[in-house]
Amino acid sequence: MALRELASLEKYLGLKKPNKYSTQGDKKVPVLQNNNAPPLVGLVTIACHLAKEAKRPELLGDGAEGRAVVQQWLEYRVTKLDGHAKEDTRSILKDLNLYLQDKVYLAGNQFTLADVLMYYGIHAIVLDLAVQEKEQYVNVARWFDHIQHHPGVRHHLPPVVVLRNRLYTSRHH
Amino acid sequence: MTKEEVNGATEDEQQAQSKKALKKQQKEAEKAAKKAEKQAKLAAEQQSADEDDFAKDRYGLSAMVQSQQKLDRVLVRVQDLTPEKVDQLIWLRARVHTSRAKGKQCFLVLRQQQFNVQALVAVGDRASKQMVKFAANITKESIVDVEAMVRKVEQKIESCSQQDVELHIERIFVISQAEPRLPLQLEDAVRPDGEGEEEGRATVNQDTRLDNRVIDLRTTTSQAIFRLQSGVCQLFRDTLTNKGFVEIQTPKIISAASEGGANVFTVSYFKSSAYLAQSPQLYKQMCICADFDKVFCVGPVFRAEDSNTHRHLTEFVGLDIEMAFNYHYHEVIESITDTMVQIFKGLRDNFQTEIQTVNKQFPSEPFKFLEPTLRLEYTEALAMLREAGVEMGDEDDLSTPNEKLLGRLVKEKYDTDFYVLDKYPLAVRPFYTMPDPTNPKYSNSYDMFMRGEEILSGAQRIHDAQLLTERAQHHQIDLEKIKSYIDSFRYGAPPHGGGGIGLERVCMLYLGLHNVRQTSMFPRDPKRLTP
Repeated sequence: MALRELASLEKYLGLKKPNKYSTQGDKKVPVLQNNNAPPLVGLVTIACHLAKEAKRPELLGDGAEGRAVVQQWLEYRVTKLDGHAKEDTRSILKDLNLYLQDKVYLAGNQFTLADVLMYYGIHAIVLDLAVQEKEQYVNVARWFDHIQHHPGVRHHLPPVVVLRNRLYTSRHH
Repeated sequence: MTKEEVNGATEDEQQAQSKKALKKQQKEAEKAAKKAEKQAKLAAEQQSADEDDFAKDRYGLSAMVQSQQKLDRVLVRVQDLTPEKVDQLIWLRARVHTSRAKGKQCFLVLRQQQFNVQALVAVGDRASKQMVKFAANITKESIVDVEAMVRKVEQKIESCSQQDVELHIERIFVISQAEPRLPLQLEDAVRPDGEGEEEGRATVNQDTRLDNRVIDLRTTTSQAIFRLQSGVCQLFRDTLTNKGFVEIQTPKIISAASEGGANVFTVSYFKSSAYLAQSPQLYKQMCICADFDKVFCVGPVFRAEDSNTHRHLTEFVGLDIEMAFNYHYHEVIESITDTMVQIFKGLRDNFQTEIQTVNKQFPSEPFKFLEPTLRLEYTEALAMLREAGVEMGDEDDLSTPNEKLLGRLVKEKYDTDFYVLDKYPLAVRPFYTMPDPTNPKYSNSYDMFMRGEEILSGAQRIHDAQLLTERAQHHQIDLEKIKSYIDSFRYGAPPHGGGGIGLERVCMLYLGLHNVRQTSMFPRDPKRLTP
C-alpha cells in the first residue's frame, strides 16, 4: 500500500527515475536504499526526501509555522489514521470535518504534501461512505474532491463520486 | 489497638445503639399516637362535615350505567365549547386528563378524543369543600359527567385545544373510574423525542406503547393518525367510485400462493391445508375476466416474511386496484397516480389539523407531489444512481438504501415526494408480469414511491393463457395449482393492469413517520400477536 503511494507520489513530483523500495518488519514499513547515503525508513521520511529531491520545498510548508502544521498532519496520517480501529472512523471524520470548515487545504491556503498523504490515507474510508455520510462530513468531502482532482495526484486510486448538491437538507427524515 | 479495647468499643457502641433504638421506639410510638389522634379527629371532622355538606347531591360515583333510564340530557362535545357557548349551563361527558388541586380550588383538564378544555371546581355556593376534594381525588383517565357553566377566560389557555373558555363545574359524577396507576402516562407518550430530556422527563418506547395500545391510542397523536388513515380509505373509495370502479370482496383463505410460495401462512383447512392470501391478485384479475372492467378492494393481506424492519408487517390492509385498459398500460398508471394525487390533495385540504397534530410530536416536511405525476424509467433511475456513485447491474433489483437514495435524488431534481418508476427488469417481477415488447429483459411493470419508499407495486398482467403458462413454467410454478387462474384467461380476457398499496405505509410516509407500527392500530409482526 505504502509502496504504491510512494510510486504515485514520485509520478506527481515528476521524478524521472522510479526508486526501488523494500519493506521492513510486520507493518511493512517502506525503506528507500540510497546509493551514497544511509537508507531512509518510513513513509513520511521518504516522502519528505522525495519532495526535496524534486526541488519542491514549498510542499513541506512555508515558514516555520507552515512547516510545523505540515509535519503535524503527516504525523497524524501515520499515527492516527493508519491502522485506526473501525469504531474510531466516525470521530476521525468528525474532527477532520471541523478542522477543514474554514480551510481549502490542510495547511490553510497552500497545497502541501500533507494533503497528498492524507488523501491517500483516507481514500478507503471515503470510498465506503454512503451519499448521506459524505453530506454529513461535507467539508471532508469538499477537500477530498478537490485533492482527487488536483492535477497528477490521484494515480493508483479510483475516483470517488462527490455530489455537489445537498440531498439531505432538512434535519427530519 | 488491643483486643480488649476493641471489645470495649463495640460494647459502648452497642449500648449507644440500644439507647438510640429506645429513643427511636419512643418517638415512633409518639408519632403513631399523634397520627391516630389526628385520624380520629379527621374522621370526626369528616363525619360532621358530611353531615353538613350542602353539596352532597352534586357529586359522587354514579351507579353503573345499565340503561335503566333515558335522560333528556344533551351532552355537548368538547370541540363545540367555543365563545358562542359562554354563560350557558351545559352537560358534558369527558375523561379526566389531569387534575390539580390548589387550596379551595381544583383545576381539571377534561379530554374528549383530541380535544380538551380546562374546568374548575371552586368552593362557593355551588360547591362545597368536600366536593372540591372529591374532584381532586378522581383518578386520571376516569370518565365523568359534568354540569358546568361556560365562562370566557381573559388569557388564552395555551395548554388546551379550547383556549377561549373554561368550565365552572356545578356537578360532577364519575361514570367510570380508572385504576389509579396507569401503565403509561399520556403526556410521556406524546412528548417529541429529545424534548424534556434535561428535566429528566420520560418518553415511552414503542413496545410499551403497543403493549398498552388502548391507552396509547388515546393520545392526540394516535387520534390524529387514525383519523387521517380513515380519510385515506375514504378518499381512495370516493375517487375510484367516481372513476366508475366497483368495490369487490375476495376470499382471504386460498388454495395456492399467488406470488411465490415462500412467504405465505399455511392454515389447516379441515383435512388439507390452505393459505392466507398475500394479495387479492388472482381474484381481482378473474373479476376483470368476468367483465367487471374496473375493480378495487380494501382488505387484509398477509405476508409470512420473517423480517423485523420499520416497514414490514405480517398483516396489513391492502388497497388493491385492477382495471382493463384499451391499448397501453400507461392508462392504468395514470388512473392510479391520479387516485393517489386525489388522496394527497384530500388529506392536504381536509386533514390539516391532524397533520399538524402529528407534526408536533414527529416533525416532518410537508408532502410534495407533482401534477401530472413524475414517471421515470428504470434505466433513467439507474443512470441517476450511477452518477451518484452507486454501482449496480442493469437487471439488479433496487436495494432499500438505493431506493431511499433515489428518492432523495428525485426530490432534489424534481422536488417531489411521489413518483413512478416504470419498466422494471422482468427477472425481478412475478410470473404474471407482461414482458416489454421492445426489450424482453424489461417488463411493463412499475413501482410507486413516497418519500423514497415503495408503496405500490404493479404491472400490466399477462392476459394470454399460453404466455402465462410459459412464464409460470419459467418460474417453476406448479401449473396444477394455478389451473383455475390460467383457465380464466382462456375465454376472452381484456388487457389489464393494476397494483396494490399498503394502507399503513401510505399513512406512515405521508406523515413522514419512521415506523409502520405507528400507523397500524394493532400491528402484527413476527414478534407480536397481541393485543
